[in-house]
Amino acid sequence: MALPNSLPPEFDRGVVTTVHQGDCHVSDASDLTYSTVLGSCISACVRDRVANVGGMNHFLLAEQSGSAKDRYGASARYGAFAMEQLINKVLSKGTGKKANLEIKVFGGGKINSSLDDVGRKNIEFVRQFLADEGYVAMSEDLGGNYARRVLFKPHSGRAFVKRLDSDAGDNVAREEAAIAKRRIVVPAPVDDIELF
Amino acid sequence: MPKASAVSVLIVDDQQSMRGICKYILTQLGFKDIIEAKSGRDALGKLEKSNVDLIISDWNMEDIDGLTLLKVIRKHPRTQAMPFIMATGRSDKEQVKEAISFGVNNYIIKPFDASTMKKRIEAVIGALS
Repeated sequence: MALPNSLPPEFDRGVVTTVHQGDCHVSDASDLTYSTVLGSCISACVRDRVANVGGMNHFLLAEQSGSAKDRYGASARYGAFAMEQLINKVLSKGTGKKANLEIKVFGGGKINSSLDDVGRKNIEFVRQFLADEGYVAMSEDLGGNYARRVLFKPHSGRAFVKRLDSDAGDNVAREEAAIAKRRIVVPAPVDDIELF
Repeated sequence: MPKASAVSVLIVDDQQSMRGICKYILTQLGFKDIIEAKSGRDALGKLEKSNVDLIISDWNMEDIDGLTLLKVIRKHPRTQAMPFIMATGRSDKEQVKEAISFGVNNYIIKPFDASTMKKRIEAVIGALS
């Protein structure tokens, strides 16, 4: 099936904010579009359908894992926090009711042999998280052998995914591999409040 | 010097994954008596039935949030002196200050690891053995 090379005419980007790895943005602005490029990474788009408030995160669980003990390891803790942070921000800015949330998830591509297991692990993580918390993704575009650009309008909840060609995918793979190598995606806890 | 295995901890969080993470870390630190509450309301019920030595509560919860839970606990004679640690995100700095004014004993910023958790717990109940 031929994939669209451009946005449908009714998808007006308006103001575009790029969501980088580790970011979490939430807004109710009707003219705003969040944009991100995903290789093995995951982006969740969470929206309060009553308040028309939505947000996007972008995270990568770079550590290889696979055993039960890793379910709550450092990497999964980082992912769970990224999801909780986004959900709480949307709830705080919206109605505060989890029942009003709709969730879309994207990413987890297998884009490089050296990161061959990471996309799958990221998909497993986000699916497990949603199941644990009782959420059902209303739509998803996960896996595959390609990178993707995701656009998300937080006010309306519309999302647009474009699968990227292999050249673009290679660039994303190199960036993600560099990040995974530096292992900076699991930040050390920072205590920036000294009150005691 | 309190022995971790003898301290009863109540974890309050409406997200199952966060309760799981917290329980996993507490187990790593040697805690054995760990009670889970999936909401602020559930926590109040558990406090009536169980002897709890320490509460670790999330801030953002749908029914009774962490701050409201703290206020209720501080008003009740049986629980008013109960050690209370609030778990929060980094962006909640002003909220943490508010919690201080209502008697929270300490806070922990997510995502946290075992050493941070240990440090926060020891600051509240003393060095663990």
